[in-house]
Amino acid sequence: PLHLHRNQVLRIFVADEASVEKVKELEELQELQLDFWRGPGSQDVPIDVRVPFASLQAVKVFLESNGIRYSILIDDLQVSALVDEEQTQMISHHFMPRSVETFNYASYHTLDEIYDFMDLLVAENPNLVSKIQIGNSYEGRPLNVLKFSTGGTKRPAIWIDTGIHSREWITQASGVVFAKKIVDNYGKDPSLTSILDNLDIFLEIVTNPDGFAFTHTKNRMWRKTRSISSGSACIGVDPNRNWDAGFGGAGASSNPCSETYRGPYANSESEVKAIVDFVKSHGNIKAFISIHSYTQLLLYPYGYTRTRADDYQELDNIAKAAVAALSSLYGTQYRYGSIITTIYQASGGTIDWTYNQGIKYSFTFELRDTGRYGFLLPANQIIPTAEETWLALMTIMEYTRDHPY
Amino acid sequence: MQRRSAARLGPLLLLLLLPLAWGEGPEPPRADGELQVSNRLAGQAARVALHYLNYRMGSPSALRALGQVRKATVKTIPGIGHKYYLQFITEDYKSSQNVGTCLATVLYLKRKPRPAVNINCTYTKDQKQTREDDYSFYKKMRQQTKPITGNDIPDSYGNIEPALEPAWALAVAGSSYLMWEKSTENLGYFMAQVKNVKQWITKDDSIDFDYLVVLHEIPTQEMISCHLRVIWTPGRPLKVKYFCLSENQRSESGEGSGTESGSTNGIFNEEEANF
Repeated sequence: PLHLHRNQVLRIFVADEASVEKVKELEELQELQLDFWRGPGSQDVPIDVRVPFASLQAVKVFLESNGIRYSILIDDLQVSALVDEEQTQMISHHFMPRSVETFNYASYHTLDEIYDFMDLLVAENPNLVSKIQIGNSYEGRPLNVLKFSTGGTKRPAIWIDTGIHSREWITQASGVVFAKKIVDNYGKDPSLTSILDNLDIFLEIVTNPDGFAFTHTKNRMWRKTRSISSGSACIGVDPNRNWDAGFGGAGASSNPCSETYRGPYANSESEVKAIVDFVKSHGNIKAFISIHSYTQLLLYPYGYTRTRADDYQELDNIAKAAVAALSSLYGTQYRYGSIITTIYQASGGTIDWTYNQGIKYSFTFELRDTGRYGFLLPANQIIPTAEETWLALMTIMEYTRDHPY
Repeated sequence: MQRRSAARLGPLLLLLLLPLAWGEGPEPPRADGELQVSNRLAGQAARVALHYLNYRMGSPSALRALGQVRKATVKTIPGIGHKYYLQFITEDYKSSQNVGTCLATVLYLKRKPRPAVNINCTYTKDQKQTREDDYSFYKKMRQQTKPITGNDIPDSYGNIEPALEPAWALAVAGSSYLMWEKSTENLGYFMAQVKNVKQWITKDDSIDFDYLVVLHEIPTQEMISCHLRVIWTPGRPLKVKYFCLSENQRSESGEGSGTESGSTNGIFNEEEANF
């Protein structure tokens, strides 16, 4: 059995090829008995290595003298857990704070797991990703947004949110994949690279964390927030009817027990207010994409009125191209059009508000499927759904990059 | 043209209709004529036609889902209601493979509660195979000495236990009756989940299930729980009884035995021009 007493796990950050080579040299030295949990690979992926106590000083001196940055992931493995070989294996695969490389994208996760993923993503990509807390949910959970930026000051930006309706699990799961795709593709995919060299991307993966937690613990079909309505036993407001666009009109309910309850007034929900405040104070958001499921649609304003948006034709053209891109991957068919003609009349909706704020490229997606599984989409469809949707997102983001206003 | 002027009248008509209760839903099309295939009312009507077909076919192995709408037209019949003429592609419910096209009419009546459907479809799936699949499920259930039970199908993660899949499919067929009955021009349904299934062992040659199903209602977004009793013998019309409760305590019940009016292989009296 291995003795883990005072073994440490180091996370090594390699900034260039030369550093990778240096770490490979270290790997060659058998007598150090290093156990690489994630071995040297490309220069943008951190290396994790378990170092026996006896080798610690030598390894640290080596790294420091070669100007290679590292942090101590685990201070004392014995204390962290367990004792024998089998358990070490378990630690390295399960117990350990996973890297985003070992996160399981093909399964549904809890709120804590997704929040941990966000922190890992930031930790592993500090030059590209940061986390902003834009507010708190009704029950006091942080509302976290990932910011992807290569610099500049208040660059024009693209906003993407998933999970505003908590039961639409495919959306939060896809949001996680999108986050990973951005970091993977920056520097590799010319189009995404040029997008990020000119614009910032903001991604709110769990836009309704209270609702999401509730879908895991009590009611898988919960849609709304979890705010308490005065004078009613019913809980929650539909966060996609709570925006200040056509608020109070047909297309939402005034009944707190309804799934489309608009709330007592516009922006009554802290989850909505946080985004409104963020958008207003940022002032330079150029595209806003809010993601829902299901029924496979790509929608643009308006939902609260039959009046066509001024930019109707342009939005329709973008939607057509985005849907074609999506379909090119697996043949998945989407319909597209304005909210009111394509899905139903809805007042107080997100993208009606953002569009009226001047964010021209405002779109809503309804992801897979068309009703067989509905909200209960099997996990084996997460990655295909996210991959095809990504192509549509890229179309919209490229268009935004190429048509500044 | 006619449609554009109707669109300009739109907001005005909307204002006139505002005082009506939200439950009325968005107003139906004011202009007769061809609809865009992406139009929600076209998709809605096609789905209603399919609910009716799935119920009348009464075959869990031959269930169909909506593929693409190819053409849709709507006509107002004064004093009666709105009639939709549809052409759409269907997919196998389980595999999503294209299994044929349908021509259908759906008449939403002002006075009677359920839409009147005529539907005629091509079917490209091997019918011998579906009959065998149905029969093999039927035989297995007839042979049960202990009644089968199940919960949450699919579960939260979208999993359906293979052994319970045919029972789930039978629930879809039974729910189709209920969804057809409840559908209106503006209210549509999907079967979201089987919360519970329990078999009743019968003395005759039918198989008999008690279900608690959850329906997803559009555009209200409500999840409606319904008790469903489905009695089935392959090749014979599905017998369905239901009792639904919604959050707002509206309760409705109904019973179907395959004798309702409508047609699935009808001699079409429709002029081709209507399609």
